[in-house]
Amino acid sequence: MKQQLEQIKTAALEAIENAQNSADCENVRVKYLGKKGELTAILKMMGGLSPEERPIMGQLVNTAKAEVDAALSKKVEQMQAEAEELKLKQETIDITMPAKQDKTGKLHPLNTVLNDMIDIFQSMGFDVVDGPEVETDHYNFECLNVPADHPARDMQDTFYLAENILLRTQTSAAQIRTMETRKPPIRVICPGRVFRADEVDATHSPVFHQIEGLVVDKGVTMCDLKGVLEQFAHEIYGPETKVKFRPSFFPFTEPSVEVDVSCSECGGKGCRVCKGAGWIEILGAGMVHPNVLRSCGIDPEEYSGFAFGIGLDRLTTTRYKISDIRLLFENDKRFLDQF
Amino acid sequence: MKISLKALKYYVDINVPVEELCDRMVMAGFEVESIEAEGENIKNVVAARIVKLEPHTDSDHLQICQMDIGKENLVQIVTGAQNIKEGDLVPAALDNSDLPNGMHIKSGKLRGVESNGMLCSGEELCLTEEDYEGASVHGILILKDEWAPGTDMREVLGLDDYIIDFKITANRPDCNCFMGVAKEASVVLGSAYHPPVPTYKTVGENITDYIDVEVLNYDLCPRYVGRVVKNLRIKPSPVWMQKALMASGMRPINNIVDITNFVMLETGQPMHAFNYNDLADKKIIVRNAREGEAITTLDGKDYKLTADMLVIADGEKPSCLAGIMGGKESEIEDDTKDLFLESAKFRRDSVRKTGRALGIRTEASGRFEKGVDIVNVGFAMDRALQLICDLDAGDIIEGVLDRNLGLPEDKILNVKSSSIIELLGVQIPEDKMVEILNSLGLETAANDGVLTVRVPSIRDDIEGRADLAEEVMRIYGYDHIVGTPMRGDVMRGKKLPARVKSDKMKSLLCGLGCYEIATYSFIASGALDTLNLADDDARRNAVKLINPLGDEYSCMRTQLVTSMLTVMATNINRKIEAGRFFEESKRFIPKALPVTEQPDELPTLCIGLYGKDEDFFTLKGIVEEIMTLFGAHTQYKRSSENYLHPGRQAEVLANNVSAAVFGEVHPAVAKNYDIDTRVYVAEIKLDVLYAINKRKTTYKPLPKYPAVERDFAMLCDKDIPVGDLERAIVSGGGRLLEKVELFDVYQGSQIPEGKKSVAYSVWLRSSEGTLTDAQIEDASSKIIAKLEKLGAELRK
Repeated sequence: MKQQLEQIKTAALEAIENAQNSADCENVRVKYLGKKGELTAILKMMGGLSPEERPIMGQLVNTAKAEVDAALSKKVEQMQAEAEELKLKQETIDITMPAKQDKTGKLHPLNTVLNDMIDIFQSMGFDVVDGPEVETDHYNFECLNVPADHPARDMQDTFYLAENILLRTQTSAAQIRTMETRKPPIRVICPGRVFRADEVDATHSPVFHQIEGLVVDKGVTMCDLKGVLEQFAHEIYGPETKVKFRPSFFPFTEPSVEVDVSCSECGGKGCRVCKGAGWIEILGAGMVHPNVLRSCGIDPEEYSGFAFGIGLDRLTTTRYKISDIRLLFENDKRFLDQF
Repeated sequence: MKISLKALKYYVDINVPVEELCDRMVMAGFEVESIEAEGENIKNVVAARIVKLEPHTDSDHLQICQMDIGKENLVQIVTGAQNIKEGDLVPAALDNSDLPNGMHIKSGKLRGVESNGMLCSGEELCLTEEDYEGASVHGILILKDEWAPGTDMREVLGLDDYIIDFKITANRPDCNCFMGVAKEASVVLGSAYHPPVPTYKTVGENITDYIDVEVLNYDLCPRYVGRVVKNLRIKPSPVWMQKALMASGMRPINNIVDITNFVMLETGQPMHAFNYNDLADKKIIVRNAREGEAITTLDGKDYKLTADMLVIADGEKPSCLAGIMGGKESEIEDDTKDLFLESAKFRRDSVRKTGRALGIRTEASGRFEKGVDIVNVGFAMDRALQLICDLDAGDIIEGVLDRNLGLPEDKILNVKSSSIIELLGVQIPEDKMVEILNSLGLETAANDGVLTVRVPSIRDDIEGRADLAEEVMRIYGYDHIVGTPMRGDVMRGKKLPARVKSDKMKSLLCGLGCYEIATYSFIASGALDTLNLADDDARRNAVKLINPLGDEYSCMRTQLVTSMLTVMATNINRKIEAGRFFEESKRFIPKALPVTEQPDELPTLCIGLYGKDEDFFTLKGIVEEIMTLFGAHTQYKRSSENYLHPGRQAEVLANNVSAAVFGEVHPAVAKNYDIDTRVYVAEIKLDVLYAINKRKTTYKPLPKYPAVERDFAMLCDKDIPVGDLERAIVSGGGRLLEKVELFDVYQGSQIPEGKKSVAYSVWLRSSEGTLTDAQIEDASSKIIAKLEKLGAELRK
C-alpha cells in the first residue's frame, strides 16, 4: 500500500510537471485530489489496516496529498505569471507615436523677457507700477526738466493728440507720478509701451517698450546705480558680464550715462554681434536731476536717486537674435511658438 | 558735427592716433558716429609707369600697356585711352581694386587680350582740376613725375586726413563747432588749446554813416551785432578753408560766403552777409513780420509770413528770415560791392516755430534752435572780420552796432566738494576737482571744502552740484565708479493687483492653447468701417493723432478686434491651419472730442480663434474659464454686434455688468480682411473683471452620503434655449440639486416638426443623509413641473 501511494504521488507530480495549461492542471487536481481522486481513494482503503498502521499510513497519505497540492499550486501560479507576462508583451506599443495633448500657447516674447526682468528687480525690492500711455506735456516733458523750448524735445519726435496731450515718449513720465504719490524710500520699475514718430523699419518701430527704474532715498550714489545695473546684467547676460558707464545726456538725469555691457557672445573680445566693439549698449541711466526731484516735492538736498530706462524690444531681439523688430508685431504663429 | 582731423589740429595739439582720440572723446561724453579716412573708397590704385605701349591687333582703338608698378614683374593693362605715351606716370587700378565712383576692377580679357586692371581718368577718381592739375582732361590722368611707381594713389593725392563725426548731446550746443570740440579734446588729452585771437585793421570812417540797426523785439532777438565791409574783392576762398568746409559737409561758394560759413563751423555762431547796396533806406530793423508779408529766400522759394515770425527787414521789406535763411534780393553775388555783416542771437523756440511753419531747416537754424551763446556773438563777428582782413576780401569800416539789453554776468556757484562725492560715491580729491573744472574753462577755487565756480554764459547748461559732478566725473573717468550692492531698508517688491490678475489670466490663456500677440495701439482711420459699425457707434469716437506717421496709424483704438482680425488674416493667408490668439492691451476712450484731457485707458482682452476644431462653443469655453478665474457670476444673452454673425454671438454679464461680447465673425466683415473661413473673436472688458472682488475660497466637506442620478428626457419647442431648461431644473431641484448635465439634443426623424428632444442627467444629494425615495420623488416632480411650465413634454 505504501508502495502504491508512492507510485501515485510520483505519477501525480509527473503529470503536474507535464501540464501545459490550466485545464491540464485542473485534470490533475481532479484525478488525484478530487473526491473520487486516487489519493482520496487510498485514504478510503485504509479501513483494512490495523489500528497501529492506520495513523502512520494516514500521515503518509496526507503528506503526499499536501506535496501534490503544493506542486499543483506552484504550477498554476507559474502558469499565471507566464500568461501575464505574455499579455504585457503583446501590449507593447510604439512609443514614438505622436503624443495626445492639448497644445499650450505661449506668452509673447516681449512679455517673456519682461517677466524675467520683473523677477530680477522684484527680488531687489522694486515695486512694479504702471502709468498711462497717453500723457500730458506736464508729466512727459515739463516735470522731467524738458521745458517747451528745450532742444531735447527734438530728440524724441512726439505724437500729439492735442496741444498738451501726447503719447508718452518714455516711461520716465511714470517716475513723476510715482514720486508725487509715494514718499522715499522709493524703489519702483515701470514697464510699459512708449511711442515715437519713427518710420517703421528693421530696427525702428513707432511703438516700443521700456522699463523705467527709479530709486530715491537718502545718500543714494552713482555707485549704487552701477551696483543695481551690474546685478541686473549678471542675471540677464551671465555672471561674468561687465558693466561700463559712458557719459551722455538726458534732461531728467544729471550726471547721465549710457550703459554698455560686455558682449555675451564673445566675452568682450569683439565679434559680429557687438560689431567688433566688445560692448553692447543696453540702456540709459543717471542720477535723478535735482529739478525733477524738486518738481515732485522732494528736497534734492536731503534725498538723491537714480533712474534708468531699458529698451525691452532691443533686449528681446538681442536675446533671441531676432533680426527684424517688425516680426514682434506681425504675430505669425510659427514665430510666436519659438519662445 | 563732422570735423576733419587736420582742422581740429589747428586749435589743439593732438599727438595720439585718431582711434585713441576718438575713444577718449567717447569716454568724455562725445560719441563718435563715424571715422572716415579720406580716400577710404580708393583701394588698390597706384601710380604706375607705362613702360611699353602697343596697339591691340584686334581693335582699332585699344592699346596694350606694360606697366611698372614698382614690382619685379610688369603688369599688362588694356586701355582705350589715346592721350598716353610710353614713360607717362598714370593712376592704375589693379586687379581687385575699388574706385571712389563705386567701380570695382578685376582682371579680365578685352577682345581676347588679358588686362589686369584699368588706367584711370581724373573723373573716375572723382577728382576736379582743383584737386589735381589735369584731372579735368578727357582721358587718362597724367601724374606729375614725382612719385615712385607703386605709390598708393591716396598718398599721391594727399588724402591722409580723417573726418570724424561727433554726436553732440543737446546740453552741449557750445560743442557744435571746431573750437568747442577742440577745447574738450585739449582737456581729454591734457594738451594745449590754441583758440584764434581775432585782430584786424579797419579803413576808418564810421559805420553810423552807413547804416542804422534797430531791434524792435529783444525778446526774440536778445543781441544783434552789425558791421559794414566795403570794396569787396570776391574770389574763391583758400584751399584750406574749402577743405574744412567740405569735410563738414558744406559747399564752397566764394570767399565772403565761405568766411561766414567757416566762422559758423569754427565758433558755432551762424553769420549772415547782406548785400549792403540792396538794403532800402540803409536801415536794418529786427521786427516781427507783418501778417501776409512775403519773402523770396536764397534758394528762390517764395514764402508768406505770419506776424509771429521774426525777420530782419530793411526800411521797406523783410530781407532775411531771422536765423533761418537770407532773402534772394540781398544775396551776395560776384559783383557785390559792399557788405553788411550780421551776428546775432535769436530765441530757440522762435526759430524752431518759424522753421517748422515754413518747412525750412538750415545749418544756421539748427544751431539757433539748439542755442547760441550771447557773448560768443561778438567773438564770432571779430573772427569773421579777421578772416576778411587776412584774406584781403574787403575794407572794414570802423565801428560796430551792437544792440542788446545788457550781457549776462558769469554765474557763481558755491558747492561743497563733499556733496559731489556724496552724489558720485567716488572719493575724488578736491584739488583734482579744481584742476578738472579749471581746465574746462570753469574758473574754480576751493576754500574750506567749498568750490566756488565761475560759469560763463557759454556753459549755461551748468546749474548746480549735479552738473559739476558730471563735469568732474566724465573727465576723472567713469571707470572709477565701482558698483555697490543695493543698500537701504529691506523692501519687498510688489506688483499692482491688476498686474497680478493679468499674469494669472495670461497663464490660463496659454494653458488653453492661446498665443499672446502684440499689435500697435493706433489703427487706420477707416479700420472701424471694416467692422461695419453703425455710423453713430460710440467706438467711432476715436482720439486722432495730430501728426501720425500716416493714415494707417492715425487713430487710438477704441477696440482690439480689428487688430486681432488683421493678425488672424496674416496667419490664415500664410496657410497656418489653425490658431488661438489673445492680446491684452488698452482701449482709449475719450471723455470728449476733441480731447482736452487724457482719455480713459481701459484694459481689454481680445481673443481670436480659427481652425477646423474651433466653433462658438470652444470660444465660449475659454470665455467661461476666464469668468471663473475672476469669480464672476455670469449670464449669457443674445447680442447684436454688427461685426458678429447675427445668430452666433453672445454678450456676457459678469455680476450683472456687461463684461464681454463674443461670437463668430460676420462673413461680410471677415471678407473685409480677405478671410474666407470661419473665425471667432471675443472682446472682454478687463476693467469690469478686475473690479470683481472674488470671494475667498473656503473648504466644503466632501460628500458623506451617496448621490442619486436621474435622467430627464423631454420634447420641447425647438426655439426654447437649453439655458432656460437648465435654469428650470436648477430651480426645481432646490437645495438637493448638485449637478446638471446636458447629454443630448436631437432634432429630426421621429421628432415632430418644430420640436427638439433634450435630455439631462441630474444629480441629487443631501449633506445630511442618504436621500429617501420620498425626497427623490419630491425633487423630481418639482423639476418636471418647472419644465412643463416651459412647455416641455417629459418622455417616459
